[in-house]
Amino acid sequence: MVTSTSARKSLQTTLEVPTLRKAYYAQTLEDSKKGRKVAWCSNNIPAEILDVMDVTSVFLENYATVIAAKRLASGYCVAGEKKGFSQDVCGYARMLMGYLLARDEVPEAPYGGLAKPDFLLVNSYSCDSRLGWFTAMNRALNLPLHVHDAPHQPDGACDLAANAEYTERELRSLVAFLEEQTGNKFDSERLRKRLELSRQTSEIMFDINELRKAVPCPMGSADMFTAVWPAMYMVGTKECEDFYQKLRAEVEERIAKGIGVVPEEKFRLMWSGIPFWYNMSLLNYVEDFGGVVAIEGFYRSRERRLPPQHDDPIKDMALRSIRQRTFPSSIIISIDDLMDAVKEYKIDGVILSFNPSCRLSYVPQMELQRSLEEGGIPTLGLECDMADERTYSDAQVKTRIDAFVERLLAKA
Amino acid sequence: MIVAGIDVGSSTSKSVILEDNHILSYSIIPTGAESAGSAQRAMDEALKGTNHLSLKDLRWIIATGYGRVIVPFADETVTEISCHAKGANWLFPSVRTVLDMGGQDCKAIRCDEQGKLLNFVMNDKCAAGTGRFLEAMAEVMDLPLEDIGELSLQAKEEIRINSTCTVFGKSEVASLIRQGRDKRDILAGLHVAILNRVYTLLRRVGIEPCFAITGGIAKNIGMVKRLEEKVGLNALLAEEPQIVGALGAALFARNKPSKS
Repeated sequence: MVTSTSARKSLQTTLEVPTLRKAYYAQTLEDSKKGRKVAWCSNNIPAEILDVMDVTSVFLENYATVIAAKRLASGYCVAGEKKGFSQDVCGYARMLMGYLLARDEVPEAPYGGLAKPDFLLVNSYSCDSRLGWFTAMNRALNLPLHVHDAPHQPDGACDLAANAEYTERELRSLVAFLEEQTGNKFDSERLRKRLELSRQTSEIMFDINELRKAVPCPMGSADMFTAVWPAMYMVGTKECEDFYQKLRAEVEERIAKGIGVVPEEKFRLMWSGIPFWYNMSLLNYVEDFGGVVAIEGFYRSRERRLPPQHDDPIKDMALRSIRQRTFPSSIIISIDDLMDAVKEYKIDGVILSFNPSCRLSYVPQMELQRSLEEGGIPTLGLECDMADERTYSDAQVKTRIDAFVERLLAKA
Repeated sequence: MIVAGIDVGSSTSKSVILEDNHILSYSIIPTGAESAGSAQRAMDEALKGTNHLSLKDLRWIIATGYGRVIVPFADETVTEISCHAKGANWLFPSVRTVLDMGGQDCKAIRCDEQGKLLNFVMNDKCAAGTGRFLEAMAEVMDLPLEDIGELSLQAKEEIRINSTCTVFGKSEVASLIRQGRDKRDILAGLHVAILNRVYTLLRRVGIEPCFAITGGIAKNIGMVKRLEEKVGLNALLAEEPQIVGALGAALFARNKPSKS
């Protein structure tokens, strides 16, 4: 039996997430039994479109974090490695390939395992590993694979109208693929309503993150890394909106009563990068020193979602994604966002996670760290994989955090 | 006012007993497999060196090093990073950059005029490029650890060593020995390989004069000379560089109020 290392939560509402997550995975299994089509998806596949096409979406990266949080990832990684996936391959991909190709060798799968897929959907623009991973699954399962693309958007150097047209074509191509796979007809009005619901949820999420600027910090990353889950995987549903309304009310109440994560807040940190899912209690570690990880760099909406841009919901999605840069853009924008957040959230220091098997995040983190240090913001880099616990050494990580805290307190 | 610092490192445990501005006694013993026991032995030995003191005479004890959390008689813990900065700055008040090269870790540290920690960079999590690496290589070459620095300076050429990974490095060195290459030339290559890693850490933290080297590797003349050349500064070296962390811990203890 492994010891739990989940984060200690400060908010009651956050404690509801495991139940929602469990119900979500149970529903995917139920859907599959009833004959509803199941898509195994990478992140950034628009769940709203899948929902209105009556397709059940299963996001594999999320399932990988569930396995990692239950401290089972190493067994899955070893199984993946035995099947020829190198330790340099994305930890999530390695784990899930282990699950797929050596099911009898991996530890018991959480939530009864994944619903059996009918087809695979991957985005091409988040990272190269995802494409390789889904191509490998496509070969192993012999199931249809659809690749969803998006244009690169360098700062001030792209044709926005052409990018919007390209994005629209890609979204319509996804719809056509789903129509072909399911035999269901796309309902534009249903998608419009769904998008409106997800816009409302996104508004509440934005409000919550604005409220988190308060001192003392009413809700830290130890809560938000869990509380962000419904927004990522239940988006556009009534349950999701209800959850965030409740969460916002609790955050407001804590601010009104002056309740912080720690009784006497001495310093505030940001966590930049993917956390170590197998040891989320690290986010509470600085609390003993009067510190709080007040905000996270990833999984946070940086601006309020734009109102509908067009009556046609597909055109609306395309225009919004281009205007709000939800697609790949430049590191300069990431640096500006980070520096703004440091000021707005009154951050004294930033912990950056360097996940060796995630090239997508590792390289930009180096540039972010350099920019922060040049801007006079103390930083600490921790190099451990986000999923594979074998790369983690508790004593070494804590020595570095201890010294970082000493540095911050010496400065104070 | 008598206080103590104890530094339980991965290779050695060190203890320093301090009375005001004067080091009364110190000890250095191998840590071995049982860190808590070695902490006790290091402290007992340092106390023995005073000829008259016992544990109860020590007003405050601060533990540092990897084993700091398992020292049963310590009043408090401080990381070895802050302690090396404090200790080096006390010995050499002009010091602003400290390179601590220990058994398991290598740290480049910057401090202010009071020895307060300003910034630090550490090596990756494995022992590549640390004291353990040199220990392992000395073992492969069947040479005493204390001789390898001097021998490396007698090299006629520096054989390029590709890996500072202890496991791969061992194979590489064993292969060079089998080829009949001169051990001094191999040693020169090993020192340069580590030097390059360490120099990267120093560059990242920013090298400011004055510059001190602490930890066990400061006793290695081959490494010190090469580092001085690379950095372009003379390194300040403590008479006993291994106790600088424990000394720093004792200095932190000195600032603590009385227990009663």
